[in-house]
Amino acid sequence: MTVVSIVDYGVGNLRSVINALEHIGAQAELVSDPVALRKSGKLLLPGVGSYRIAMEQFQASGLADTLMERVTQDQIPMLGICVGMQLMTEHGTEDGGAPGLGLVPGVIDKFDADTMKAKGLKVPHVGFNTVRPKSGSLLFKDLGDGIDVYFTHSFRLASTGDDHVGALCNYGVDFVAAVEHEHVVATQFHPEKSQANGLAILRNFMDNF
Amino acid sequence: MLKKRLIFTLLYSKGSFMLSRNFRLQRVGNADWLNRNYNFSTIATSIDELIILNTERAEDGTTLSHEKFLSDVEKVTKGCFMPLALGGGLTSVDQIPQLMQSGADKIVVNTALFRNAEFVRAAVAKYGSQCVVASIDYRHTQDGFEIYTACGSERVEGEFTDLLAYVADLGVGEIYLNSMDKDGTGQGYWMDVLDQISAIEHLPVIMAGGAGNFEHLMEGLGSANIDAVATANLFNFVGDGLPKAREKLLAHDQNLARW
Repeated sequence: MTVVSIVDYGVGNLRSVINALEHIGAQAELVSDPVALRKSGKLLLPGVGSYRIAMEQFQASGLADTLMERVTQDQIPMLGICVGMQLMTEHGTEDGGAPGLGLVPGVIDKFDADTMKAKGLKVPHVGFNTVRPKSGSLLFKDLGDGIDVYFTHSFRLASTGDDHVGALCNYGVDFVAAVEHEHVVATQFHPEKSQANGLAILRNFMDNF
Repeated sequence: MLKKRLIFTLLYSKGSFMLSRNFRLQRVGNADWLNRNYNFSTIATSIDELIILNTERAEDGTTLSHEKFLSDVEKVTKGCFMPLALGGGLTSVDQIPQLMQSGADKIVVNTALFRNAEFVRAAVAKYGSQCVVASIDYRHTQDGFEIYTACGSERVEGEFTDLLAYVADLGVGEIYLNSMDKDGTGQGYWMDVLDQISAIEHLPVIMAGGAGNFEHLMEGLGSANIDAVATANLFNFVGDGLPKAREKLLAHDQNLARW
């Protein structure tokens, strides 16, 4: 297994994701400067909290441009988790809004309050829910067609390019639970908090990308 | 559709994990002991969420050895890959980042609900309602249900339903309803309390206190008003007790996550 570099731009707790990667036998390292990022062979982009604030922090860290270069030119595999996935899209409307990295088509917007209320569903969407991977997915390889994983979020990617969908989830409406396009993958849910299912997904990222 | 949850609650004090019966605590052992004697790692793969509460209190009701608590939390959760809620004697929003650094996804507040509402509101404002679990310890008397704080030592004045409405109004994300009478008895949940919770019916309810076997968990999960069932009883679900209970719950078509 190769080393996975966790892009550390100063947001949130990275302990859980490091623990999970080490548990499956992967070697995880934190990378917080562009020079180190140039040596990485595989990236994991975490993120929590507000899209705009996370994006500002990511830009300020000086890591965003290098990450884009490594992923688009060098084609190294990357996995975004939660707000890390959200930052990979074109735009996020949260908290005044901010442009994203544009690696994934689509916009991050809040679950529609009226629709959810009419269906008696609460926002944020918190807990284990079932995702439906696309056929032939490498991220969900050998995991079947309905996998339960842990979500905690209020904003979501409503839709993306057909060739970018990795998995869908239904919470009142369908939304994109995972992105999978060539070497670019991402999950709105938290694999590091999703018991054996999440560990298997992380293992697939390490083995198949 | 969101799944219901099976939750394990660990009680902690001064380096040890505790068993509780009617809120009287008995020391069982430290993190290593828990793994050795109770195969905690097996329990941990059978639950949807873990709650760890620090029950140690100073005279003023705050917790003393916060750092020790958190380092023990990290030790016991190293091989845990599910959401984690931490609590016990919390008094300030400034404590929350430290809890999150130790892996917490949520915090649990109890006494602060009634003594320090500003803190609870501030925690909700800063971290979101999904981050704040309100823990309610209650007793059943001839006159109805009564709420207690400070590890069950002080009664909160007021009607049960009014107090629940007050707690919901603080903006908390879910309610952990713990029966002190049933706590640690293994006799089953106090299901009658569900008739009194219309004030919080828009919030997820975690039922706690009294689960002793699979049937009790089944009864709890079978109620439309309950989103999660919790047990803190290491003895009743020792060894592969909890994995077996989970398998049976799934075999009985309970809406739990599968892995």
